[in-house]
Amino acid sequence: MKNASAKTRISTRALLMSTAFVGTLLSGVASASAETLTVWSGYPEMAPFYEHVAQGMKASHPDLDVKVEAIALREHEKRVALGLTGGGQEGVTVIELSGSTATRYLENDLLPEASDEVSAFVKDEKNFSKFFSDSASYDGAVYGVPLFRGQGSLYYNTEMFAAAGLTAPPKTMEEYSAYAEKLTKRDASGKATVSGWSLRLSGGGQGIAEKFWTNLHQFGGAILVPAGDGKWKPDFANEAGRNALKQYLANIFTTKTVSPEMPADADAFERGQTAMFIRESWVIGDIAKKAPDLKYATAPLPKGSIALPTNLYVAGEDADIGWEFAQAANSPENLVWLLENVGWLPNRSGVDYTSVTGKQPAFAAFVNYPQGYEFFTLPAIGPIEEVLTRVAAQLVIAFGDASMASDDAKIDAFLKKASDEVVAILDREGLAAK
Amino acid sequence: MLKRKRFIFAMLAILPTLAIFAYVRLYPIADTLRLSLYQWNILSKNKPFIGLANFRELMGDHLFLDALINTTIIAFGVLALTIPMALVIAALIFHRTRSRMAGFYETAVFIPHVVSLVPAAMAWKWIFDARLGPLNALLDFFGIPMQNWLFDPVLSVICIIVLCSWQALGYAVLIYLVGFKNLPVSLYEAAKLDGASGRQSFWHLSIPMLKPITLYVSVVTLVSGFNVYAQAFVLASDAQGAPGRQVRVLVLDMLENSFRNYRVGYAASEAVVLLVIVLVLTLIQFSMLREKGKA
Repeated sequence: MKNASAKTRISTRALLMSTAFVGTLLSGVASASAETLTVWSGYPEMAPFYEHVAQGMKASHPDLDVKVEAIALREHEKRVALGLTGGGQEGVTVIELSGSTATRYLENDLLPEASDEVSAFVKDEKNFSKFFSDSASYDGAVYGVPLFRGQGSLYYNTEMFAAAGLTAPPKTMEEYSAYAEKLTKRDASGKATVSGWSLRLSGGGQGIAEKFWTNLHQFGGAILVPAGDGKWKPDFANEAGRNALKQYLANIFTTKTVSPEMPADADAFERGQTAMFIRESWVIGDIAKKAPDLKYATAPLPKGSIALPTNLYVAGEDADIGWEFAQAANSPENLVWLLENVGWLPNRSGVDYTSVTGKQPAFAAFVNYPQGYEFFTLPAIGPIEEVLTRVAAQLVIAFGDASMASDDAKIDAFLKKASDEVVAILDREGLAAK
Repeated sequence: MLKRKRFIFAMLAILPTLAIFAYVRLYPIADTLRLSLYQWNILSKNKPFIGLANFRELMGDHLFLDALINTTIIAFGVLALTIPMALVIAALIFHRTRSRMAGFYETAVFIPHVVSLVPAAMAWKWIFDARLGPLNALLDFFGIPMQNWLFDPVLSVICIIVLCSWQALGYAVLIYLVGFKNLPVSLYEAAKLDGASGRQSFWHLSIPMLKPITLYVSVVTLVSGFNVYAQAFVLASDAQGAPGRQVRVLVLDMLENSFRNYRVGYAASEAVVLLVIVLVLTLIQFSMLREKGKA
């Protein structure tokens, strides 16, 4: 009886083990037959878009398994640096990168060239203007597929404008400061409780310098300008730089319309803690989700804006499915979905976006800008991140120095020091103009 | 003969562990030392040898020097705050060992050490918030001017010291408690018979006898203080609505140079400087506390 029971136990165990073995084998076979594609994004809000694209590909690729891994941009940059150099990622990976960041990888042959079909698609001016196809190319060859761009405009709270007696958005940088003063709400002690104009004054990373560059651009300056023969030079230790920095300092220390510790950026705008700020189009989608009742409008900037193109690159063996995904992301249906649901501006031309822009007038400032509106982008050079990070570190010091606000000589000395540091970086990399 | 065989057996038994240790611990250190002498951007196959050029550049790099100063202040600040507080709290808890609440005291002090760092740092970020934080509300209640804790260059460093100490305290208290429990009771009884007060016993018996524990806790606290990163990162994280001043610390600077500026050789030279500092300080602590402890 005992033996029989033991036998039963053994045979039950054998059955279970066999089942587990066969199950493992079958799941292995199943996973081997399925196509796996990983999407690395630096913008968490883009995850639903890539999932939407994957869903659309289900009809032609029923076995396609798309894993969307969208994380914060700075972490994404580290992941790409380690992933592309260390290898080890399985299958095909579609990588979202700005054109300026991708240059590093292209210089070192870490990303493959696009197929002839994809190149033709990208180079076709009916699909992309030269600005965007160039941003996805290196040495004349196409390596990526343009997707969306970051482009700034002014967001302003129309109710706060009306309460302050303002009927139109500011059109000059002088008006920005004047408006900020009128829009700032203060407590009994005179301390600002709602900032008139939210400026990026603190935090980590290069964002502070990018935002400063946008303001600097309105005054005719730039952090870097091309100097011919692939060389670059800083262009902010001058009157434009002084005006831009002086405006920041005046708002912080003189008129006190904003301070570093005040809530800032899109979150503050959505909560009614700031009256206006400059940001990219994704904020429209963000407001729709987080503050649908917010009364706001957008307006082009006085002179022009940053346009930071982001492209899709493909890494891994048998990359065809990756390129197919990148092209599918650029289908008119998907691009309209992107604009409507996420808010990032698609780069592809010839697509009818009126169904979205008609419903959401805030997009108008991003697409219907005035004649002669001047765009700038980050230079596609290796040390661009280092340049911006170091300028940002310097700017944070300036934003905390009240004595600079009314001292032009001190501002000039500060800008000269920051400019010299940029030249030293360019010089080290062999990129400085003589 | 038997002894030799035993020795060989012991060596063979320990060899796999030594091999793993060498691979995961010693090899990365050696490779970091090697990389610090090269100019390498992580992406390029070309890796030219540049000797000590990275170290020369470091000496004139204001961001690195800022990071070095901040990190040193934070590490010593945490040490200065944690060790005396841990010693006193451990003594108080030990004194109340028979209390029904002893377990609660131990757990309450240790919990910050096991709490996940990011949510804890977010909570501290709220405490230090200039507008909505309870710390400023308290100051205001007593008529003291409110402070920009996370934005002032000095206060933001103090905030990190407080956060790190709060986390380190639990571990230090736990180790000190173990030390207290191993102290010979007879000595205290003798001291009591000689008329020593509790405070005198603590000062003249506990502190000297706990020197080996103090050595261990201070080395661990100082080393972790020099490796501070996440606290500085979270307190100034890029959350758009409430950023803070980015206190530059060495590990943050290394990460930035490695993965944003793609200068791995340069970042490796920073790591070497950090390693040398920590080693020298550890040796100083050993010589200061161990010798006196023996005497």
